[in-house]
Amino acid sequence: MSDARPAFRRVPADMFAFTTTERADLHTAVMQVFGEAAERLRAALTFDEVLAGLPEIGWHEPVSDESLEYTLGALHKHGLVDRTQNHAAHYTSAAEYERRNLHYSLSRKGEAAYQGLLHALDLLDSSGALQTSVLDAIAARLAELDTLLGDEGADDRRVHTAVTELEGHLTALRSGVVRFNGRLQRLLRDEGADPAVFQEVKQATIAYLTDFVTGLDTRRLTIAEAVARVEERGVEALHARALRGADLPVLPGQADPAPRFLERRAARWAGLRDWFRPAGGGRARVEDLADTARSAIVALMRALERLSETRRRGSSTAADFRTLARWFSTAETDEAAHELWAAATGLWSARHTHLAPDDPTAVGPGTSWFSAPGVHVSPLLRTHGQSDRAARTARVRDTTEIREQRRQRALRERLELEEAWSRLATPGPVRLSAFARLDQGSFSRLLELLARALTVPARDGERRASTADGRLDVVLLPPPDHHLAYVRTARGVLVAPDFIVSISESRPGQAAPVPLRTDFRREATA
Amino acid sequence: MTDLRSELDRQRGTERAQAIRALLARPLLTRAADPDDFFLVARHAAELVPWFEEHTGWRLSVEARQGYARLAKVSARPDGTRPARRLRGNRDPFDRRRYALFCVLAAELLTGQVTTIGILAGRLTQATAVEPVIPTFDSASREDRRAYVDALMMLERFGALTATDGSTDAYLEHADAKVLYRVDATRLARLLAAPQAPSRLPGPDVAALVREDRYDDDAERLRHSLVRRLLDDPVVYFDELTEAERAYATGVAGRRVIRAAVEEAGLQLEERAEGMLAIDPDAVATDERFPAENSVPAQTALLLLDSILAAHPEPVPRTVLADRIAARFAELPAWARTYRSDGGAQRLLGEALAVLERFKLTIDGEAIRVRPAAARYAAAPAASAKTPRPRRAR
Repeated sequence: MSDARPAFRRVPADMFAFTTTERADLHTAVMQVFGEAAERLRAALTFDEVLAGLPEIGWHEPVSDESLEYTLGALHKHGLVDRTQNHAAHYTSAAEYERRNLHYSLSRKGEAAYQGLLHALDLLDSSGALQTSVLDAIAARLAELDTLLGDEGADDRRVHTAVTELEGHLTALRSGVVRFNGRLQRLLRDEGADPAVFQEVKQATIAYLTDFVTGLDTRRLTIAEAVARVEERGVEALHARALRGADLPVLPGQADPAPRFLERRAARWAGLRDWFRPAGGGRARVEDLADTARSAIVALMRALERLSETRRRGSSTAADFRTLARWFSTAETDEAAHELWAAATGLWSARHTHLAPDDPTAVGPGTSWFSAPGVHVSPLLRTHGQSDRAARTARVRDTTEIREQRRQRALRERLELEEAWSRLATPGPVRLSAFARLDQGSFSRLLELLARALTVPARDGERRASTADGRLDVVLLPPPDHHLAYVRTARGVLVAPDFIVSISESRPGQAAPVPLRTDFRREATA
Repeated sequence: MTDLRSELDRQRGTERAQAIRALLARPLLTRAADPDDFFLVARHAAELVPWFEEHTGWRLSVEARQGYARLAKVSARPDGTRPARRLRGNRDPFDRRRYALFCVLAAELLTGQVTTIGILAGRLTQATAVEPVIPTFDSASREDRRAYVDALMMLERFGALTATDGSTDAYLEHADAKVLYRVDATRLARLLAAPQAPSRLPGPDVAALVREDRYDDDAERLRHSLVRRLLDDPVVYFDELTEAERAYATGVAGRRVIRAAVEEAGLQLEERAEGMLAIDPDAVATDERFPAENSVPAQTALLLLDSILAAHPEPVPRTVLADRIAARFAELPAWARTYRSDGGAQRLLGEALAVLERFKLTIDGEAIRVRPAAARYAAAPAASAKTPRPRRAR
């Protein structure tokens, strides 16, 4: 009757509530009193016995009757403690009866909660270890089962014990792995610890893991083979004999425990197979374990390597930096500090001249600098702080760089052109004088356009042209008056008859620019 | 086929030389800040590591995945003229306060992987409070905040710290700015390159810090010492060397070794009677240039060098040089405007002389003396005849 619900849904809501309330101390202590009593096979305690049990487990503060009563009430409410009437006692007064007629004992849920608590404490205390001995024990029990199954006359009780032991070892292996992995991950994260301790712990862990991984491979095979042998003899037969050996009591009014027993055994066996010889030839969990151990070794080694880089210097880097900080603070001058900086870090740049004599082989190495030819220093450098770059060609020609520069220049020119064009485009026909001021680029574009328009014969007084690439269209009408247009550029002023100009981008599909407005035309022909 | 082979070899050699010079200029090269150079170094790491070991004895670590290459430069005579520089504003050099904060920060950062600018400031305050010689950091002080930000930005530049949210300079305005950092502890540790651990030395002692115990072979020590200087310094004068170094540098075998190293780095070796220098025609492996364009101190330095060279072998008093600058001011009224305020001429004189000193062309003192390599920059008489009359500076 395995419960199909997952574990996280099966935990009773208030199972561990006693550990989290304000009175958690007393609640837990009382639970412990019950637990200790149960170990001595005392199932039920009276109020006074609980009170008397508290000092025995190390609770030395005074406990008032009220608070104990409250605690017992609370535990009862959570379903952890059962309360029964005690009819066996003798009562001398009604008050005594009221107070002491009750027997308290742990409920099933209470027992579970108490065991859970102990287990949790145990885990908190334990350091977590992977024991190869557990693997050995598993192998040994499997071998024993193999032998027992081969012998029809063997004691079924022996089979039962061996199965129980086997399952116990498997459980130990699983919880050991969980704990160990947790500890390992903490160790890998924990970089800030004292380096000396850190190094020791990590080195020990690496040695341990290495041993473990080495042992793991052979043990894994041994166990897998043993599992196979037992399965050949029949797992169901095994569990049937274990059931006989278990000699389970069948109590009237309760379900037969046998199916549940067999079900659990089968589940545990499946767990064992998962670990060492998964059905369908999948990946055994023990291999994951080996992988984890291996990668942990690598990670730890790396951490150690980093650490030894720090420790290579013999004392800790932090101490070195602190010492340097003091030295810098007490340095006589900033220059002395610069010197210390260079000495401590070596983070200085080289310093060289970049000028070479034109002919390095002109004089021999024995020549004095005073009589050897000098280097060419641009005269402009002396006068203006600028060198005439044209005087010397670059020593190394890097064609990729030149190509890139050319590409950039072409791109730049293209952009400038685009910009100039867009600047020239007019909202409609305007007078030439509207271009009052232009930059050099746009101005030369404009001149080009005007020149093109003026070279085509006038039709109806109107001249039309477009740029060589067809991007822009221009329409020109002679000025209606004798005004002159002054177009200023950085280089000078263009004086020309004040034409009526319309410049527009020619769009694909649009054959001709928008015709000039008629009023302009009239004006123009007038 | 052989042509192709030798062409490829030559190309690899050129690339390697570029990588060497990139590392000489930036001993901590990061993928984030200098991607091209970083990939160049990463590509040739297998050859570069033994190259630096062989020629200079410097350890090169290339962390291709982590995205940085670190050349641990060591020098027996660390130079006070190549400071760490602020990454904002005028790139002023770090002062003692900033260096100290940088180091305390590095120490504090080693303990965690993630932090924020505020938490870090708190820890800085605590850490400096317990150190008697370090003034306590006060995040309420604007000046302290500036120094803090400069130190942080330097750590970010080196990739020891990465801002994953927010930007460091927000802290300049108010101390409750939110910036989240990721810390790279390995890179922090790699910032230290001195052969001796400071914390194991009894007191502040630069000479002890750079003492190298590795050499029991004299030839190797001489080779490393000379090649280091040539790869790092603008000039190496023979009269600065020890007897053994000089013998090595002028001997046949030594010269061959030195020349090979310098040329493999893509530099040109210039050998003269008074010393040697490596020329970097591409000006890749240098923190500054001389002569330089668009720099008033460098231009003035060139000007003063003419005067000092003209007087050679006599030293030139500072006052004469100051007059030279004053004359220049009068001659070109629009020139060097920023130096025309009170004391500007003296400042310019100081800065120009510092340029010459940094390139080891003069010896400073009450009077300025020229050093031999300065003769390289003498104005050629033939060239000056052809020089057109200078136009008026605008």
